[in-house]
Amino acid sequence: MNDLTELFNKLFVNFNYIVAATLFVIGLYTVIAKSNLIKKFMGLNIIETSVFLFIVSSGAIVGGKAPIIGEGVSSKTAFVNPIPQALILTGIVVAMSTTAVALSLMIKLYEQCGTLNADKLKELK
Amino acid sequence: MLRSLDVLLLIFLLVTAIGVVCTKDLLGAAIIFSAYSFTMAIVWQQLGAPDLALTEAAVGAGVTTVLFLIAISRTVRREDE
Amino acid sequence: MKKGIIIFAVFLFWLLLVSAMVSLPPMGSPENPAYSHIVPRYLEEGVEEAGAHNIITGIILNYRGYDTMGEVTVILTALMGVLAVLGRENLLHHTSKVDESTIERSVIVKCVVRLLVPFIILFALYIILHGAESPGGGFQGGAILGASVIALTLTFGFSLTVKKLPLKYRTVFESAGPLGFFISGVIGLFCGLNFLTYIIPSVAPAYQDLIRHLLLLIIEIGIGVGGGTIIASVFLAMEKVGKE
Repeated sequence: MNDLTELFNKLFVNFNYIVAATLFVIGLYTVIAKSNLIKKFMGLNIIETSVFLFIVSSGAIVGGKAPIIGEGVSSKTAFVNPIPQALILTGIVVAMSTTAVALSLMIKLYEQCGTLNADKLKELK
Repeated sequence: MLRSLDVLLLIFLLVTAIGVVCTKDLLGAAIIFSAYSFTMAIVWQQLGAPDLALTEAAVGAGVTTVLFLIAISRTVRREDE
Repeated sequence: MKKGIIIFAVFLFWLLLVSAMVSLPPMGSPENPAYSHIVPRYLEEGVEEAGAHNIITGIILNYRGYDTMGEVTVILTALMGVLAVLGRENLLHHTSKVDESTIERSVIVKCVVRLLVPFIILFALYIILHGAESPGGGFQGGAILGASVIALTLTFGFSLTVKKLPLKYRTVFESAGPLGFFISGVIGLFCGLNFLTYIIPSVAPAYQDLIRHLLLLIIEIGIGVGGGTIIASVFLAMEKVGKE
């Protein structure tokens, strides 16, 4: 019984991680189960944001401030970890670029084949 | 440790993600995806990352949604077609 | 049946992920291993070393400048991919669904967009230029610039935007991001230092800070203008449809 409460405590402290894992799994389900290509790509976008949430949460700090060091602020006060944020900032923009390329490919595919259903596309020759 | 607002936002994030998966209408799914991105922006503001919040609100909720809408308007709207 | 198998497999994967997360250190404590290596140095000396009060701007432009340079190239390559697939828009051969639509646009939307877009552009410029002191920077401001172009196009029509932002200007502005990195980085090479060092040794030390600020500003403006134009170009290329 005591072990179980400890486990729940641990899980609740890491609630952001749990939510990130659940979002990852929801996105994975969309990519596997849905046959529409645009829907698949929405699932891929959800996976991307879940990974971003996980990495930024690992750098968060309780009561931490944003890492902008003004004039009168001593650097001894708690700031959140800036490295994950700098990494994810580039990641968000790259995610948008891949979305643009994939959607333009889908538009061309629909012009050529007349469908965006992955199952039907498999049968085309 | 976690504030109740954070927990509420994270739960809303899960709800919108499930909404994106379950909506058959792709236009509705794109709008729900925009709401998901906006919630993510608020979560990042809560985690102490205002730079990321700005980027996500402009890129995720704005530009990506518009790109999805263009793609839907030029292809199919229902998921099963 | 097939759905059930997928849900079961995905649930097993979720259990695996959660069981791994139980053993992670508690979120939000300063004793996490993520804080132990280089973060204290970034937070304590980042302002003097990188030349920006916003540590994130310092990291992405100075400590990890090569990373950002590669990423700016990624956006440009994405634009090239979109153009290779869909092609540039041309007013002689193309129009858009917005222009063809028979539904009249609401007066309220037109009026609000006309009033708001100048302020949106002003906000974007503030975010680009003030990125070293407050939240913001090139990418954020560029995305807001691109969003203002999208709002104008969706309200006032495709042909107006293509006329106001002609191709000969956009082709130059699209490459502004890598160009800004090139201009700022090559100065270090000419002075016998490494690429992207932002230092000119022959200048008096009192002015070094100013020069570094200016070079960082060139990069920020390049990323902002380049990113905004690339977003606008991708939008226009995807929005066009062939004329009958």
